[in-house]
Amino acid sequence: MRIRIAECTVRYEGRLNAYLPSATRLVMVKADGCVAIHADGGAYKPLNWMNAPNTLTEDDHQWIVINPKGEKLIIDFGEIHFETALEMGEDPGLQKDGVELELQRLLAERPETFGERMELVRREFPTPIGPVDLLCRDGDGVSVAIEIKRRGEIDGVEQLTRYLDFLNRDTRLAPVRGIFAAQSIKPQAKLLCEDRGIVWVEVDYDDLKGTDSDVMKLF
Amino acid sequence: MRIRAERDDLADVLVRASRAVGTRSPLPILQGVLCDVVGGKLTVTGTDNEVTVRTYLDVEVTEEGKTVIPAKLAAEAVRKLPPGAVTLASVDGEVEIIGSGPRFKLREMMVDDYPKISDADTTDAVSVDGTGLIKALAQVGVAASGDDARPTLTGVLFEAVDDGLRLVATDSYRLAVKDVPGVSAEGSKLVPYRALRELGRTVGAGTMQVALGEREAAFVTDHGRLTVRVIDSTFPNYRQLLPEGHANRLTLDKGALLEAVGRAALVAEDHIPVRLAMHSGGVELSVIRQEVGEATELLEGEYIGEDMTIAFNTRYLTDGVNAVNDEAVVIETSDPLKPGLLHGADENDFRYLLMPVRL
Repeated sequence: MRIRIAECTVRYEGRLNAYLPSATRLVMVKADGCVAIHADGGAYKPLNWMNAPNTLTEDDHQWIVINPKGEKLIIDFGEIHFETALEMGEDPGLQKDGVELELQRLLAERPETFGERMELVRREFPTPIGPVDLLCRDGDGVSVAIEIKRRGEIDGVEQLTRYLDFLNRDTRLAPVRGIFAAQSIKPQAKLLCEDRGIVWVEVDYDDLKGTDSDVMKLF
Repeated sequence: MRIRAERDDLADVLVRASRAVGTRSPLPILQGVLCDVVGGKLTVTGTDNEVTVRTYLDVEVTEEGKTVIPAKLAAEAVRKLPPGAVTLASVDGEVEIIGSGPRFKLREMMVDDYPKISDADTTDAVSVDGTGLIKALAQVGVAASGDDARPTLTGVLFEAVDDGLRLVATDSYRLAVKDVPGVSAEGSKLVPYRALRELGRTVGAGTMQVALGEREAAFVTDHGRLTVRVIDSTFPNYRQLLPEGHANRLTLDKGALLEAVGRAALVAEDHIPVRLAMHSGGVELSVIRQEVGEATELLEGEYIGEDMTIAFNTRYLTDGVNAVNDEAVVIETSDPLKPGLLHGADENDFRYLLMPVRL
């Protein structure tokens, strides 16, 4: 990532012609070759940009960025206030707070959420049609398949039903009962669960994360 | 089956037995109550398969027998009849309820479908003052959890102690302990509070026989019998939570404290704590809710200890103060992040431990 904050003018020549008069701006050249020119405002959208792949040629006061279509950004610099470059490495990608994977991880750490003496057997327990989120064993030694969703809807119940169908064919596991867990579960999904003998559980994500730290418990 | 009884008496036994009938039972037959007439006595049974209530009434019997009738409807029908004698009769698949004028015909439910419920063994029952037990249960019951996901915390622990019976309940945020001296209990059992809170309205007060069996607990009076399945799990080790002593001791008038917390709760709602800034001469209660405003109040009282501010959930604090059977409430504290202990100034048999809220 290369960053330059400088006085500059920018001309775009391509499908149309555009011009940014002289002002102080942030110019970013990313490792993949993207170039973006930002003003000191707005959350994300640059004033002008050129997606990779690009070819950048530069001299002391001018950068010329050209893409394969021949579109061109010409940046003429005046005073340069700041410049730096660093290797940022590979980005792990966006992980949204509260996604199913995080819920799964938290619930795997606290299987007692689903009942006292509940023990985790395995996360992502394989079935012939895909892995069920958690396989646990309850206090009576009965296998429990748990499917976890952010929002509990009928589709999720159907998915768990299919897993249970396959898991109950395995004589080493059967009988396997099901628990459908989500932060919130729609009434239709609850009804379908009850009709199929599946237990539904609404879980409190903040409580699992322990972010409700103002509230203290005796034990 | 054909019987005759006074309206108020018949309504009473039907209503009390109906309190065990669940509103959302998966089995339709459990929406009914079983009326069984033998030897001049009517026994009405209501159950949700966890809690069973039996009520008794001496009646004028024309014909012995059994019937199952819709619980709530039959109770309401009898209750709304004019005062005086009421006849209850099972005739050709229907149950007639006849008052002086009005007449109901209700579809009879299948007697054979009604679960066979045998009475729990009460040979080892201990005799207690029912009124006292019901009051004691109400004191600790406020701390029992209503969350069925943690069944252990939905119960009240009946525990034998040196000089009697101890009742304990906790939802992990507060813990209530009540000692009932003079009751020769044995062992310990965990009994669902949702059943215990029905004792007064089902089997009533007076002398009560209490039997705590391996599977069931039974509470029996002359008015009836309540049986409930005990919770088969280990209660938290509450003794280690009870503090040896506290450095600070605040004594306040119970009524004044309740009113002040009630006023603070108007601003606080449930999730904002009330702050207690304790100092010589009393305490300043305050609630600050950024988007709404604030409430502040000075309460005079006796305070021994270092100046300290501690915060509690308003509802939990109100529950604890309400449960105290004394005109003066003592709040003992040692640290803003450690549990406070509430009890009456002259009350040695009840303690309410309350976890503070972090400020």
